[in-house]
Amino acid sequence: MSDSADPPPRATMPEPPVDSVQRDAHVLAGINRILREALSASTEEDLGQLCLEVAEDLTGAAFSFFGEERDSSGRLDHLAISERGWAAYRGSDPEFSQRKLPNGLKIHGIFGEVMIQDRTLIVNEPASHPARVGLPQGHPVLHNFLGVPLRHNGETFAMFALGNHPTGFTEREKAIAEELAPAIVQALLRKRAEVASRASRRRLLTLIEGIPQLVWTATSDGRWTWASPQWVTTTGLSVEESLGHGWQAAVHPEDRDAAHAFWAQAGDHGDLTMEGRLFHAETGRYRWYKTRATPVRDDHGAIIEWFGTSTDIDNLRRLQDRQETLVAELQHRVRNILTIVRSIFTRTVEAGGPIDEISDHFRGRLDALARTQIVATQTVSGRVDLENLIRDELLGVGAIEDERLSIRGPDVTLPADTAESIGLAIHELTTNALKYGALRHATGRLAIAWHVEAHPNGKCELIVKWDETGVPAMPVPPVREGFGTELIREALPYGLGARTELQFRGGGVFCVISLPLPAEDVGQLNRSAEG
Amino acid sequence: MSHDSPLAAKRILVVEDEYFIARDLERALRAADAIVIGPVATLEQGLDLAETQELDAAVLDVNLAGTRAFPIADRLSARSVPWTFLTGYDDWALPAPYRSASIVAKPFHADRVIRAIGALMPDEGRA
Repeated sequence: MSDSADPPPRATMPEPPVDSVQRDAHVLAGINRILREALSASTEEDLGQLCLEVAEDLTGAAFSFFGEERDSSGRLDHLAISERGWAAYRGSDPEFSQRKLPNGLKIHGIFGEVMIQDRTLIVNEPASHPARVGLPQGHPVLHNFLGVPLRHNGETFAMFALGNHPTGFTEREKAIAEELAPAIVQALLRKRAEVASRASRRRLLTLIEGIPQLVWTATSDGRWTWASPQWVTTTGLSVEESLGHGWQAAVHPEDRDAAHAFWAQAGDHGDLTMEGRLFHAETGRYRWYKTRATPVRDDHGAIIEWFGTSTDIDNLRRLQDRQETLVAELQHRVRNILTIVRSIFTRTVEAGGPIDEISDHFRGRLDALARTQIVATQTVSGRVDLENLIRDELLGVGAIEDERLSIRGPDVTLPADTAESIGLAIHELTTNALKYGALRHATGRLAIAWHVEAHPNGKCELIVKWDETGVPAMPVPPVREGFGTELIREALPYGLGARTELQFRGGGVFCVISLPLPAEDVGQLNRSAEG
Repeated sequence: MSHDSPLAAKRILVVEDEYFIARDLERALRAADAIVIGPVATLEQGLDLAETQELDAAVLDVNLAGTRAFPIADRLSARSVPWTFLTGYDDWALPAPYRSASIVAKPFHADRVIRAIGALMPDEGRA
């Protein structure tokens, strides 16, 4: 049992002056060594071992350990055991022989007094100390003990303990150990802060380099000071090439003014945003990016630098453009067809007749338009197959393809608006044939045939022939002045540039529609013929 | 012939690719005592009339079988002939220079077209 529980203040300690000066110089050198080492030690354990070595050297202790309470749990983890400590171990615990630091020790016994009572403790007769709990297996015999608490912000969070001074610990060793204590705390905290900051920097860098955005930093006049690897990979400009104003080389020439304007606002605004095109090295073309910059400020709010990101919005913009085009085209088509329906309605009513007949005529024309619309919107190309168009119309009124009806021609597809007009014309001819012509009379025959004619001037024409025969002579050709006649004689030439011929012969209607085919439609025809 | 109509004896160009719409326009303009130039269905025909005919105003369908009627509008503007668009597009779907132009939306009522063209015409001391 030691009487060192209430040591006199160190300043009043009777020490020989020369020895004191020498001792102070040694302690100072030790403190310097500890603080210096804090920066270069690779692990906390290395740092701890160094602290213990300095303490052993200065005090003459035979071994020592350095421990820390784990989260106020009443358990102690070892930060380090000195080299001499490991060497003095004589036990057979395999973890000890592998230098595995013992952790989670209950804070009790003699060392526990240091933590619990929060004071430096000298025990020169440990065998009879009331707090003793015995030693772990293999621990060298303990002749004497000096334990020092380590404090941070007034709290004891750790300790180090020295064992086995050849002649027992005195106030001298206690004073040395207490002088080392603040340096050891500072070294440990500095080491931890550095490790944390390095980890945080590494995390941040991993984040910055892992996100899909191109990241960079710049000064307020738009001079870049750093560029992320994504920027380099995307634009093909190296970091060196991009620094300063070098990054502008990746900006689309038409967007460089906008980029200048972007930085011109840097003085006034907190955040900068612009959309512009950046060169995309992989595809060799420019892609749209949304670029944002946020100022990094010092403690006084002054802007130190700008942190920027550029996000690829090319697909988004293209989809938006495409959507706008589609919506505009759809609106156009819907409104146009309504306008046409309105015109057809007006004409159908103006033709006069009983209301049932007007209603039938109008419904028939509306159905014909609807059929074409449905087919046109079902295909990706929006094109309509001519044969289907004709067949649908005839089969729709119950006509059967037999020896009295033939429908013949090569594969031809028409754009939707052309198909709309041709469909209406076929509808008018069919209605007429059903009421007065070949489809009404048992003797009537109808041949519908078409072919494509190439002219010497390189232009092509689709020629559709409607040929009724065997119809008994009619006193008055009913279609002559109606909607169908106007459609075939006037509307097809007007809107499609077609040449048309419509004859009400004895024996039935004869109609020829010659439609100029645009070059791309003939291409279509050739492809379908090859297929 | 009514001389109350603001379009009386005015020469109005009509460019519209849909036959029935063109005929409706023609009929409405004639009813307002205007002289109809056209109607024609294509850009080429429209440009030809815009350059060769004496005109007081024009009605232009924006979409002529897939081609845009803008060159006709430009040609007319160069000759200081006022025009109005007849279109199923909203103004946002038009190129920027034409967004503030006079526009009659399809489907239209004949009266609206007559009023839109009337609004283009100078008063010529008819106060």
